[in-house]
Amino acid sequence: MAQVELRNIRKSFGATEVIRGVDLSIDKGEFVVFVGPSGCGKSTILRLISGLESVSSGQILFDGKDMTRTPPSKRQLAMVFQSYALFPHLTVAENIGFGLSLAKTPKAEITRRVTEVAKTLQLDSLLDRTPRQLSGGQRQRVAIGRSIIRNPKVFLFDEPLSNLDAALRVSMRLEIARLHRELGDVTMIYVTHDQIEAMTLADRIVVLNGGRIEQVGTPMDIYENPANTFVAGFVGAPSMNFIRCRVDTDGAARFGPATISPARPHEVSGDALLGIRPEHLALVESGDGTFDAEIELVERLGAESLVYLRAPFLEKPITVRTGGKLGLSERQAVGVLVDLTNLHVFSPASPAPKPEH
Amino acid sequence: MADVAASVPARFNPWPATVFVALCILAALFLAPTAGVLLSSVKTTRAIALGDLWSVPERVYLENYVEVLSNPAVHRYFLNTLLVTVPATFASIALGVLAGHVFAKLPFRGSNILFLIVVSGMFFPPQVILVPLFRLFNGLGLIDTLWPIILVHTALGIPICTLLMRNFFAAVPNALREAALIEGANEWQVLTRVSLPLSLPALAVLATLQFTWIWNDFLWPLIFTQSDDKRTIMIGIVNLRGQYTVAWGVQGALSLVASLPTLVIFLFFQRYFIKGMTMGAIKG
Repeated sequence: MAQVELRNIRKSFGATEVIRGVDLSIDKGEFVVFVGPSGCGKSTILRLISGLESVSSGQILFDGKDMTRTPPSKRQLAMVFQSYALFPHLTVAENIGFGLSLAKTPKAEITRRVTEVAKTLQLDSLLDRTPRQLSGGQRQRVAIGRSIIRNPKVFLFDEPLSNLDAALRVSMRLEIARLHRELGDVTMIYVTHDQIEAMTLADRIVVLNGGRIEQVGTPMDIYENPANTFVAGFVGAPSMNFIRCRVDTDGAARFGPATISPARPHEVSGDALLGIRPEHLALVESGDGTFDAEIELVERLGAESLVYLRAPFLEKPITVRTGGKLGLSERQAVGVLVDLTNLHVFSPASPAPKPEH
Repeated sequence: MADVAASVPARFNPWPATVFVALCILAALFLAPTAGVLLSSVKTTRAIALGDLWSVPERVYLENYVEVLSNPAVHRYFLNTLLVTVPATFASIALGVLAGHVFAKLPFRGSNILFLIVVSGMFFPPQVILVPLFRLFNGLGLIDTLWPIILVHTALGIPICTLLMRNFFAAVPNALREAALIEGANEWQVLTRVSLPLSLPALAVLATLQFTWIWNDFLWPLIFTQSDDKRTIMIGIVNLRGQYTVAWGVQGALSLVASLPTLVIFLFFQRYFIKGMTMGAIKG
């Protein structure tokens, strides 16, 4: 049975509908990550699951039981907030034990469990401090400690790492992954706009856009088989390249001087969008590739380089991901070789990809 | 050139000096009555009667204080004032806390209008409700008891308490309330375990304001009480005058003694008080 099930959830704030019919079932022990651009409703869905917001229509079930109208305090879940939401007047130990003390757990038991949790999160030396004396990473660990101490069945994370600096984010990400492994059968629902967090942590990713689910799948499934141009453009950095083309009856795509036959079967014909990930393009000598283009810009990132190319038949520059050391210069003419096995063909009616950042 | 420029005295700016002098004059004006009362409280009635008001007495005459402090009627006044001030202060703050929490964190349809109506109570002149209240409490048979004073002060304190607490609670981040709710708290626990401990400065401000205001009140005890054993301290000061004479010295002594509790309250809460008054004015 699904641990958490959403049935045709809708939510409106005034006249604006922000969640427009979401169906989703999340299994016990699963790590599900909601991703999507700002305002897509990912945090709202999390708040609806937590009970902090009430649904306008639809049903929320935990273990098959209708919890739609149950107040948050009775839903037996834990939530970690972006702002940490630690109680500034309480010490670390009191913050972690807050839920237990509300439940009137005996003092000795609280102390024992707080010590235990503090040990797993390496907070044992900080128990007497107040939140203002802690660093961002320590605060977030206290917030996680507060949520795991009650042994809830479902954890909700609302962009928990976005207030941390890059290095800390990586280590906290690993810590959350470790926590999920160690806690075993707990379900985690995690909201982020960071694709790396989504790809690395998730068992399944839910891509949201405009209050609707665009696609649900494993990280690699979403990456390799995006359902539409929105998902294709949103997941992956740098974004997938889109090239306007015409698809013949034999399935071959034509754009500019090039004609290529995608290896994978597809059902699109007529006007179409060809989606190619930057790593599925290779640079060769001019004239040797699928088509020729001119280098507009080279971004050297160390281990790899991003090369931006333009050609008269391309609406926007396309990105190629190549090795780190290159003897390339701007305005140089190069040939581009397309990996035919990893081409995506989308109908132009499919939802628009995300705007360029 | 540089030396010449440095040796030119800075142009005299008359403003700070003017402001300083003006403030000194104001301070003297404000302190004068207290000083006058203090001086007359340590003089004999005869010395005062001779018109020698502002001189420092050669011998400090403490009999006035002895007379005031040994007077059983004064003990009664003090007790009555405490019996009015403490419950009314508590009740008005408690109601303000509850109303403030609802207005800040649990808005409902029309709550903003209701909040404005509650707060507008602050601008109601007491003289307007004086006669109706007298008739009401008379009808209830409560005249010449302390109850009407407690009730009226509680009611009159609600607007300011609600206003201040609502603004303080509004500044407590919503995420803290939500975190507490998720942890299993009910609304009452959110208030008592999260919002209130974070609002101690506001409570200190209100405790000081309400205590001082109710303790020093003259109007309501005058209207609602008649017999001497129901009077509060401020009425008591007036009552100390004799039938044919005015005991300035004794009254002065009682005035000073009567103002001590409010001073103690202020000193007790002072740290929070200043913090509460300036909180929100600057970030941090």
